[in-house]
This record gives sequence, C-alpha cells and structure tokens, in this order.
Amino acid sequence: MAVIDSLRPARNRVSGRRRPGRRNVAVCGVLAVLLLVTVTVSLSVGDYPVPFTEVLHALVLPSWADLIVQELRLPRVLTGVAAGAAFGLAGAIFQAMVRNPLASPDLIGVTAGAGVGAVAAITLVGVSAAWVPVLALAGGGLTAALVYVLAWRRGLHVSRLVVIGVALGGTGFAAGALNSLTSLLVANAEITDAQEATVWLTGSLHGRDMEMAAGPLIALGVALPFLPAAARTLRSLSLGDDVAAGLGTRLGPSRLGLFVLGICLAATATAAVGAVNFVALGAPQIARRLTRSHVEPLVASALVGALVVTAADIVARRLFAPVELPVGVFTAAIGAPYLLWLLTRSGGVR
Amino acid sequence: MRQAGRRGTALALGVALVATAVLASLALGARPVSLPDVVGALTDFDGSPDQIAVRSLRLPRTVVGLVVGLALGVAGAVMQGLTRNPVADPGLLGVSAGAALGLVVAVTLGGVTAVAGHIWFAFAGALVAAVTVYAVANRSRRSPITSLVLGGAAVSATLGSITSAVLVVDQEVLDQYRFWAVGSLVNRDIGVAAAILPFVGAGLLAAALCVRGLDALALGDDVARALGRNLAATRVLAGIAIVLLTGAAVAAAGPIAFIGLVIPHLVRPMVGSSHGWLLVASAVYAPALLVCADVLGRLLVRPGEVPAGVVTALLGAPFLIWLVRREHRPAAVAQPPPADGVRTVQSSADRRERAVG
Repeated sequence: MAVIDSLRPARNRVSGRRRPGRRNVAVCGVLAVLLLVTVTVSLSVGDYPVPFTEVLHALVLPSWADLIVQELRLPRVLTGVAAGAAFGLAGAIFQAMVRNPLASPDLIGVTAGAGVGAVAAITLVGVSAAWVPVLALAGGGLTAALVYVLAWRRGLHVSRLVVIGVALGGTGFAAGALNSLTSLLVANAEITDAQEATVWLTGSLHGRDMEMAAGPLIALGVALPFLPAAARTLRSLSLGDDVAAGLGTRLGPSRLGLFVLGICLAATATAAVGAVNFVALGAPQIARRLTRSHVEPLVASALVGALVVTAADIVARRLFAPVELPVGVFTAAIGAPYLLWLLTRSGGVR
Repeated sequence: MRQAGRRGTALALGVALVATAVLASLALGARPVSLPDVVGALTDFDGSPDQIAVRSLRLPRTVVGLVVGLALGVAGAVMQGLTRNPVADPGLLGVSAGAALGLVVAVTLGGVTAVAGHIWFAFAGALVAAVTVYAVANRSRRSPITSLVLGGAAVSATLGSITSAVLVVDQEVLDQYRFWAVGSLVNRDIGVAAAILPFVGAGLLAAALCVRGLDALALGDDVARALGRNLAATRVLAGIAIVLLTGAAVAAAGPIAFIGLVIPHLVRPMVGSSHGWLLVASAVYAPALLVCADVLGRLLVRPGEVPAGVVTALLGAPFLIWLVRREHRPAAVAQPPPADGVRTVQSSADRRERAVG
C-alpha cells in the first residue's frame, strides 16, 4: 500500500519534468509584464511626478528628467527589484528543499543573524553606518554556516536543519536565541538608535544607491546558470529522500549546493534592504498557487518577490507622502492578504 | 508497570524542581535573603527591607512566572500535537503578533503605561488574531493544517507590519514596546496573575478535553477518522486551548515563546507520546524552567538583570540543538508521523485529490 502510495505522485511529477508546464511559462510572462509596468510607475511617481513617456525617454536618452529618474529613483527601484527577486528565489529554494511551506531564510537563521549584526552596528557606539550592511552580511553568513555545521552529523537531515535554525533564529514570530539578543540590544539602546534599528528590522529602501543594488544583483547573476539544475534537483528531492536517491540524486552535495545558493541570495538581499518581512516566506507560496505546481517554482517565485517589493515601495513612498514609511511595512500588507485570499478561495489550496 | 513508574518519577522530579525554583526565586536576587527570612515574610511579616523585597517584589513575579510557564508549556504540547510539526510554536497562530499590536494600540491611543492596563489590550489583540487565522483555515476545505499554519504566518505578518509602522513613526510607543518585546517578569504585580488566571483555567480545561483527539490525530487524519474521532471538534478545542493559554501568557509577560517549543521535546522522552501525560508533564516542567530562567537572569549581571525571555532563549537554543544532534534519526525527536509534518499532511491530501481526480 505504502509503496503504491509513494509511487503514484512520483509518476505524475516525473512526467511533469519532461514537459515544463505551459501554465508556468504563461504565469512567468504575465508576472514579468506586471513587474515592468510597476517599475515604470515607481520611476514615475513621487514628490516630483515624471510622465511615463519621459521616464522611458530618460532611461535611454539624455533628458531633463535624468536627475530624478536615473540618479534618485532608479537605484532604489533596482535595489528593491533585486532584493525582492533574491528573497523570492531563496524562499523557494528553502521551501522546496526542506519540504515545508514555513521554511524561509528566517527559519535557517539568516535573517536573525543579519539582524544581530546590523542592530549591533547601529546601537553599539563607534561603528559607522557604512558597516551596517557589512556586519549584516557577516552575521547572516556566519549563522547559516553555524546552522549547517551543527545540523551535520552522519549526513544532513533536513528536519535537524530546521529545528536548529529555529533554535538559533526563531521563526519570525517566536524568539530564538539570536532574535532575543536583538530585542535585548534594542531595549538597552539609546531611543534614537532603537528607532533606527527598528527601521532596519522592518526593512527599508530609503536612500539606497547602486552599490546597495550590486549585492543581490551579483548573487542573482551567479545563481542564474545554476537554476535549471537546481529546479531538477528540487523536483527530485520533493519525492522524498529515498526516491530521490533512487533517481540518482546525490543527497549530500546537492543539498549543500542548494543551501549555499539560498544563503547567498538571502544574505545579500537582507544586507541591502534589511529584514524585509514576508517576501521570502510568501512569494513562493503565492507563485506555487498561481502556477498550480507541486514544487515551489523558482523563476515565478523570484518574479512575485520582485513585484511585491516594488509595489510595496510605491505605497510606502506615496500613501502618507511626504512622510515615507519603510518598505517592509507594506510587503506584508500587500502580500499577506493576497495569500489569505488564495487560501480561503475554495479549491485554491492544494 | 515500568512505564508507569518512570512517569511517576518524572512527575515527582518535576514537582521538586518547581519547589526548588520557587524558593530560589524568593531568596535570590540583587539582595539575597536567607531562607528563614523568606518563610518569615510569607507567614510572619515584620516589615524589614528583606521581607518587603520578598513579599512585594519577588512573590508576585514568581507567581506570574509559574502561571505563564504553565500556560506556555501546555499550549506548546497541544500545538505540536495539533499540527504534527515539531517546530510548531503557539506563536504560529498569530497570537504574539496580535498581542504586540494590541499593546501598541493601547499605548498609542490611551497612553496606557501600567502593565495591568496592557494586559487586556494585548489579550484582545491575541484573540482577534487567532480567530482570524482560524476563520481563514476553516474556509479552505483541503489540508486545514497547512492553511492554519500559512494563515497564521500571513496574519502575523500583516499585524506585524502595522505594529512596525507605528513603531518607526512614534518614538514614545517604541520606548514602551521594546521592554515588553524582550519578554520579562519584571514589575509584574500579583494582579497580573489574578487577571490571567481565569483564562488559563479555561484553556487548561479545553486542553484536557482534546487529549484523546490529539492521540488519535497523531496516527494520521485517516486513522483518526476510522477510529471515530471527530477531527473538527478536536481541532476547535485545541485551538481554543492554544489561544487562551498563549494569549494570557503573552499578555502578561511578553513573547517568551521558546518554552512552548522546548518543553514538549524535553518531557517526551520521559513520559512518552501519550498526550495526557505529555500535557501534565509539560504543565509541571514549564513553570520550573521559566522561574529558573528568571532567577538566573537576576544573578547573571547583578545588580541589573537579563530579562527572562532572553535567558529562556539562550538556554533553550543549545538544549534543542543538543537534543536533535543526540538522535541518530531526528524523526524520533519529532512527533510520529515523520518529521516534516506540515508537508506530509499536505502531500497526503494531494495524493488523495489525485487519486480521486
């Protein structure tokens, strides 16, 4: 019985591998168009509105709007797109690898480690602001490495990885060791530093320049050639460890590769924009329901992530203008109700 | 017989641990008090500074610690049984995020500053959040637990974003919020314990009623149904228990979430996976752990103190890591059926669908 049970989905999924769903391609196309439109809108709106035609003009030819579009708005929009895509992709990789829809870089401790690094840089005296992303990157990377080393014992067992990640990082709702340290640092800081730390912990695109966009962009560029292989491995892993090994997947090396890929994406994105809420967790789940696939789709997740962050940034800049709120306030406000709606729609949950 | 003996020993040990923790909590701190003076403060109050410290500062926070620990431990055991997910934490139902928002609303609108005033707002926030999550999960017919967990994540994220929107704009609210957010027993008077006690009692009752349903759930949805268990009733009762217990605990002490996660793992090897024993043992060991953590926090950096929430996290993390590394197959640490519970539930639902369609 159990054997038949485990073979039935296997056949479906393997046949799905040969014919990458037409629906997936269509969804990715629609998402890409939506993203381009949103980016154009984001470049156009602001305290000084620029018409759409002038935005497109300014991107390719010299224009009076060069200063506003290229110098002021393009860097932050590009940072948002890159970080959002990196969050979405990292989330999809972790959720598919761990086979748990709650898995996200939060769960592996990356966000919490980056948070300790960044909040320490902000609240402890004598560290200049330029060090915040550096310490965040170091904190996130070190935590991920620590989680991986601690979870390694006669092979890497996925559930051990998750429990250790939760122990160190918490789940984003519950305090782990590192999240508690962050709370303690915030509670003991000067109130102005505490406020700055809160903005970072919410996630913000304010004043991000091209150097900030570079981190996640490079990580995405490095990840791109590996994506087809990663998608294949993840589909195979989704059948369970034993079946995957039987299909010829080498569990140890492929998990390490996926882990490193996901960590690089999540850590660079977090260092660039702060601990943006919900994107890594929600984007793959939204993408999975849109494409109706069984494994979190990689490209669609990245596109949903970029779309959510870009749209949230427009709202964050314009809703209470001229007061600008951190983008992290709205990533959840936009993405979460949509996920809830997908969940309540009967037949939408699989 | 041997099993029963071992369970009895484990419970007796737990009770002894609670008694020791309470005595230590009354006696130790910035001003150490001798044991006779501690007893004197409780039975024969003479108004000396030592006895005032015991009676008006340490006794209330110890009582609050006991009640909060009890609530968190039982809620954690119920939560892990309900979701069959070893990393499920009561916070997943959106309770912590709701309580945080309630607190922020209380401080923003009413300028409420006393802990006693916070409680009701935080508790109301926790209730609203959990009911929303439950309503969402109930509306989706398939894989209710996945919807519950994802819905909890989505509601938490939404509420959290409102909270952080207020925090980044309003410095005064942040100044209050940050001391609540670390999770602490400082400055809790006896009224706090009295306020949450009815809710904790109701929560414990609901938990006791769903014990057998949880045992059946552990065998999988299909087996539970075949055994004639009403799964919906079990889920609703378990949900009520989790919300009341966690909501009360978070309202009183802030998010001290690690206890709910660790305690069931700690007691399961001692009393087995039967939920009746698991709940009772959690109810004994969790308060002991929280009060011990509070005492430790007072002793670490005298005369200052480390909040209890930070101590539980710093103690709990290495313990959990040790626990999963000790097991060769970590599935044993998790609940039976296998470790990645959420997806397991989900994929079995997938399978059914495809078998039908």
